[in-house]
Parts: sequence; C-alpha cells; structure tokens
Amino acid sequence: MLKSKIGTVEAIMLILTIIVAHSVLSMPTNILSSYKSASILNIIYVGIIAICISFLIYKLFKNFPNMDIIDISEVIGGKFFKNIIGIVFIIYFIVTSSLMLRNFCESIQILYFPMTDITFIIALIVIAIAISNRLDFIGTIKTNVIIIPIALIGVLFLFFTNINKFVPERIFPILGEGAFNTFVIGLTNIASFGGIAYLYFLPPLLKDGTNFKKITLISISSTAIYLAFTIAVLLFIFTFFVDVSEISPLYTATRYIEFGTFFQRLESIFLLIWILVFECYLSIVCKFSMNIFQKITGISNKKALLDVFLLLIFSISLIPKNLAISQSFESKIYPYLMIGIVLVLGIGILIFANIAKIKHFQSNINRKELTNEQMG
Amino acid sequence: MNKWVRNFIIFIIILVFISAFSSSYSSLNIDNLTYVLAIGIDKSDDNKLEVSFHFSNPIPAESSASEKVSPIINTVTASSLSNAINLVNGYQGRQLNLSHCKVIIFSEKIASEGISDEIYTLINDTQIRPSANIIVSKCNAKYYMQQIKPEIENLLSRYYEIFAESSKYVGHIPNATIGDFFNSLICKTCEPYAILGGINKDNSKTNSSTSSDFGDNNNINSQKDYNIKANDSSVEGENKVENIGVAVFKDDKLVGELNALETMAFLSIRNKVDRFLVSVPDPLNDNQYLDIYITPHGSTSVSVNTSTSSPYIKLSCNFTAQIYSMSENSKYLSADVLESISNSCNTYLKAMFLDYLYKSSKDFEADINGLGIFAAKNFTNTHEFEEYDWETSYKDAFFDVNIETSVKSGMLINET
Repeated sequence: MLKSKIGTVEAIMLILTIIVAHSVLSMPTNILSSYKSASILNIIYVGIIAICISFLIYKLFKNFPNMDIIDISEVIGGKFFKNIIGIVFIIYFIVTSSLMLRNFCESIQILYFPMTDITFIIALIVIAIAISNRLDFIGTIKTNVIIIPIALIGVLFLFFTNINKFVPERIFPILGEGAFNTFVIGLTNIASFGGIAYLYFLPPLLKDGTNFKKITLISISSTAIYLAFTIAVLLFIFTFFVDVSEISPLYTATRYIEFGTFFQRLESIFLLIWILVFECYLSIVCKFSMNIFQKITGISNKKALLDVFLLLIFSISLIPKNLAISQSFESKIYPYLMIGIVLVLGIGILIFANIAKIKHFQSNINRKELTNEQMG
Repeated sequence: MNKWVRNFIIFIIILVFISAFSSSYSSLNIDNLTYVLAIGIDKSDDNKLEVSFHFSNPIPAESSASEKVSPIINTVTASSLSNAINLVNGYQGRQLNLSHCKVIIFSEKIASEGISDEIYTLINDTQIRPSANIIVSKCNAKYYMQQIKPEIENLLSRYYEIFAESSKYVGHIPNATIGDFFNSLICKTCEPYAILGGINKDNSKTNSSTSSDFGDNNNINSQKDYNIKANDSSVEGENKVENIGVAVFKDDKLVGELNALETMAFLSIRNKVDRFLVSVPDPLNDNQYLDIYITPHGSTSVSVNTSTSSPYIKLSCNFTAQIYSMSENSKYLSADVLESISNSCNTYLKAMFLDYLYKSSKDFEADINGLGIFAAKNFTNTHEFEEYDWETSYKDAFFDVNIETSVKSGMLINET
C-alpha cells in the first residue's frame, strides 16, 4: 500500500505541474494584458495571499488526518453531499484540462503540424496518457520529478540568457492600470494558483501525512516564484505581450534565445519538455478524477474508468469550434470556476467541517461534564 | 480480448496516425522546400508590392568549396506579402521556407509610406526568426539584393548572418532585428529603427576631389569620414552594397536617417556598442585630430524630469579610451596630456550626443532611444502616463549630457 503513495518531493512536483502546464498557454498574456507594468507586483501580492490560503487549508485539514475533501464532505453532509462535491470537482478537473489540452494542441498544430487535423494531435496525446496510466501512476509521478525540475530550470535559463535584453524600467508605472485594478480586480488572478485544487486530495495519497504543511507551503511558494520569473521574462524583454495576444508567449520568448551563431533555435527543446509536462498534467488529472469517482461510487476496479475519462477529455477538447472559444474559456471562465469551486466551495466545506467538529467536540465535553456532575 | 484482434486494432491505429501526420511531414519535407535567405520589398508602379526572394543556391557536388555560386532572385508583384509568397510557391513548385531568412529589405519608398502590415504579417509567420535583420535600402530593394557580392564569404547565408555583428565594434550600423522592430512598433515609449542600406556609387573619386577642395586641412577630412551614410562612403570593391547609418521610424513610417557619427551616439546611449573609433580635436596641436577608441564603461544612466510639458532628459555616460593614431613627438605618458585629451573627448562626445539627441527630438520627433520608459518612473499608473503623451511631448524635450572619459594610454606605443 505504501508503495503506491507519494513522497514530499513528488507531491510538490505534482502541484507545480499544474502551474507549469498552465503557464505554457496564454495565462501569462492574460496577466500582462490585465495588469500591464504592475504584473509582477500583482503576482507578488496574489502569491502572498495564495500562501496564506494554502496555510489556511493546511490548518483546516489538521483536524482530519488522512482525509480528503470528499471524505470531509461526507462527514458534514452525508453521502448525497459527498456525491455532489465529487461530481463538481470531477467536472472542474476534466473540463479545465480538456480545454487546456485543446489550446496546447492548437499551438502544436500551428507550429509543427499545419496540415494535420487537430483531432489526431489530441488523440495522440490522449493515447500516450492512456498507455502511461495503464502502467502505474507512480511511474507518472516519478517522471514528473524529472520533468518538472527541467521545466523550472528552463524558465530560469530563459531569464538568465535574456538578462542582457532586460529593461527593468518596464515595471513602471509601478501601479499599472491603477491601485484598484492591481489589488482589487487583481485578486481574480489568484486563479493562476490552480494547484491549490489538488491540495484538497493529497492527504490520503501521502506517505507521511505530517509533511502536508511543508508540501502546501513549498509548492505554493514555488508556484509564486515560478510565475514571477515567467512574467519577468516576458515583461522585461517584450512590450508586445501587453497588447498582442500570442498563442504561447513562453514559446515566443524561447525563440529569442541565441548564443552567437552556434546555439540557435532552442525552442524545439522547450516544446518537447512542455509536451512531457502536459502528459504528466493530464495523467494527474485522470488519476485524481478516477480517485474521486471511486470514492463516490465505491467501485473496486478504477482502472476501467481510465478509458471513460480519457474519452471525456478527448470529446470535450473537440467541442470548441476555434481557438477563440477555447482561449476565452481560459481567460474568462476558468478564473471564476477556480475561485468559485476551489476557493469558495472548497474552503467553505473545510470551515463547516471544522465548526461541526468543534461543536461535536464541545457537546462531547458538555455531556462528559454533565455525567461527571450527575455522578458527583 | 483476443491477442490477434488487439494487435490488429493497434496496427490499424498506427496506420491511421501515419496517414494523418504524413501530410504535415510531406509539406515540411526538405525535398519540398526552398530556403529563402532574404526578402526585398518594393512598391510597384501600380501601387502593389514588388517582392523579391533571394534563395540559397545549393553548391553542385562537382564544384570546389572556394567556387562562388550566382545568387537566385525571384521577383513577384502582388497585393500582399502573403500572396507574393504563395505565387512564388507555385512558380518554384516548392514551398518557400522562411526559417533561414536573415534579412528583410524595404525600399526607402515603401518605408516612408508605412510598413506595419508587412511587419505584422512576417511576425505572424511561424518560420521567420525574430533575429532577422531589417534594412531600409536607399535604392530599390531588388537592386540592393542583386548588388550583394560578398568578397570574403563564399556562402551568402554566412554574409547575411554576420554583417550586422560589426555594430558592436564599428558602431556604424545597429543590429536592428524584426523582433526589436515589432517590439518598438507596439511600444508606447519608443520608436522603431532599421539598418540604413545603399549602393556604393564609386564615391572614391568624388571624395578625393572633395578633400582637395579643403586643401591639406586634416581635420575636415577626418570628420568627413564619420559624416557618411549608406551611398556616401568611399570604399571600392566588388560588393557594391554598403550599410551605414540608421533608418529612423515614427510608428511604421520612415522619417529620417542618421549618419555614422550619430549612429555611434545612438548605440552608445542604448548600450549596444562595445567599442568605437572617433576623431577628437588634439588639444596639443591646433587643427589636428586624434583617433581614439572609445569603450563604454557601464550603462548609460538616464533621468527624466516630467514636471513640465517639456521633458528634461539628463544622460550620463562613462567611457574609457585608448589613443589609436600616433605621430612623431607624441607624449602619452604624461598625466597632464592624458587629462587634456580626456577633456577634449568629453567636449567632443557631449556635442556629438547633444546633436544626435536634438535631431531625434526636433527633426524626427521619434524616441528611438526608448527614453520614454525612464519617464514612466515619474507616474504611478498608465493613465497618468498616457495623459502626459510621451510620443508628442518628446519633440519638446531638452537634453543635458554628462560625459566622463578617462583616456588610459596609447596602444603599443606611448611616446615617440
């Protein structure tokens, strides 16, 4: 049983997979176009709030060792409530990942396979996930531990190799579109920390549950640092991301890396790394969705569910007629879905569960005191 | 499931994927591609685009490595750049691949009318590299391409790749790329620029007669060496193409040109030159000039005061220098002499920088130095900065330049 559980580093990398996968798409452009020169300031501000939220999640989970949000939902609202919460999270994971997959495949099609129908590109990635998930989830997690550090080093590499082109003054005007836009409207940018959603399901998967605090804080802080570096690369070198929407801004940034006339065209290596990151991301989504479904239905063999979920991901990713629809989901719908489901609903359930537990604890104490008095 | 059935299904899936991806493979197969090294864009008489493509010419197996191959240029007239590419695709029977395109040449005529459509189209192309250089040719772009005959390089692609590198050690041209051009085109605090190209008109005779007009006055000659642009130089050679100076744009339209001396000032302020040679007045000998290698020491510091509608821009540059020209009775081991030469450099460079800055502000009204970003520091939000309207107020700017030059020594000889 312990063999199928995940360690601290593996869990941190798992959370970071989500941000790396999202950052490859148009998320950085959305941040830059919304907050302009104040984008880094906004990331620092939102990052601090995200760290506070993750600490709150850790505190709220403390009273429920080895339980995830589905188990906790059952504690406070019974089986019916548990099913509803489970279905909501499955829909959130599947829809989000499907449309991200669509956006990613659109980029691959434009760049490398202009004559190939996008259905085949999506199908190829889905088949790869089907094969990897059939082997063992731990295999995916171990791959993650290799791929994610490479992807993170890649962004640092982008940062340092382009440092001679940096214009740090691009952070001015310091408040971008204004204080209200940066700090009040900018709160919606907390949706960039999509990895928080996966924290709710981590405790039962961990080898050592006591490391949950460490995992939570390190993964969310690393997410904030990674995002700050990503945005810094784009803001300090390019002015056009603020006004021009690119399919993959990080890819565009990699095209600028050149070391003389010898090392050129490094973007292909970056794209290869990002394809692997995306495979890991979708594998994680499938694994978590299957776990939730197993919990709400109680079926014993969850491997049979893999094809169903992959078919769902494949079908949903084919729904948008064009890039505009799938990108508008990413920029306009996803942030509110994340805030509504992950932050409001998720934290709401945890708070209710904690209140219920405290009340239950107090009523137990009162009952004990009453019994003691009667005995006295 | 039966093992045979499963294997059969896998086989069918593999076949389907092979057929699905083969179309992309075929279209991007090296056998079906023609590599473009340079694109020249002119305006035709009927107001359409006249686009010329300079192709790489594969060296035949039987030819020796030193043998030069003649360039292949195709020209097409079309309503847009993309249509022009498409027409040549059909003509060549191969697909044009722009991933090795090193240079994009615009004629002066089309550049003055605006080139934003072409720039946006090229940036939208997945094959064009952001490092491709942009040249504005003072002549027809096709003619410019035809006159490129590199004497040292056998490979034309090699010439295209390295010619702009001289910007770092000569400082007569900027390394202007399409990536930077697009960046500046979108930017609200800076304006785009390009390399100024032209054709050598055999000015050697003209120049020698001009110098005789000035008699033996050495200072006039040495200064004239730097007041040149493309089309003006006195270099003779088989390669008729010469790139000297900067083509200055306001938005997407060409508004002016900088000569070699102004280009050095421009590159210095932008911290894009490693070393350049200037002729400064010799403080010890009237009417004589000293050739000095100037090396920027640290980045240019810029501060902008926006308290009035006319921005007051203060620049501070530090240089180290070495004396290159040498004559009899030179005494460069004396601290006083070096100090006086340093002062002469300061005065000369200050005048050179101020001339250039006021030219960019008053004549071109184009902030190609990107000084606007330093003005943005004075504002808390973009609305306030937009209200200040940097693009308009730059023409009313005042400049102050502080130059600190430290002349170190001569080179191998310090005293004669």
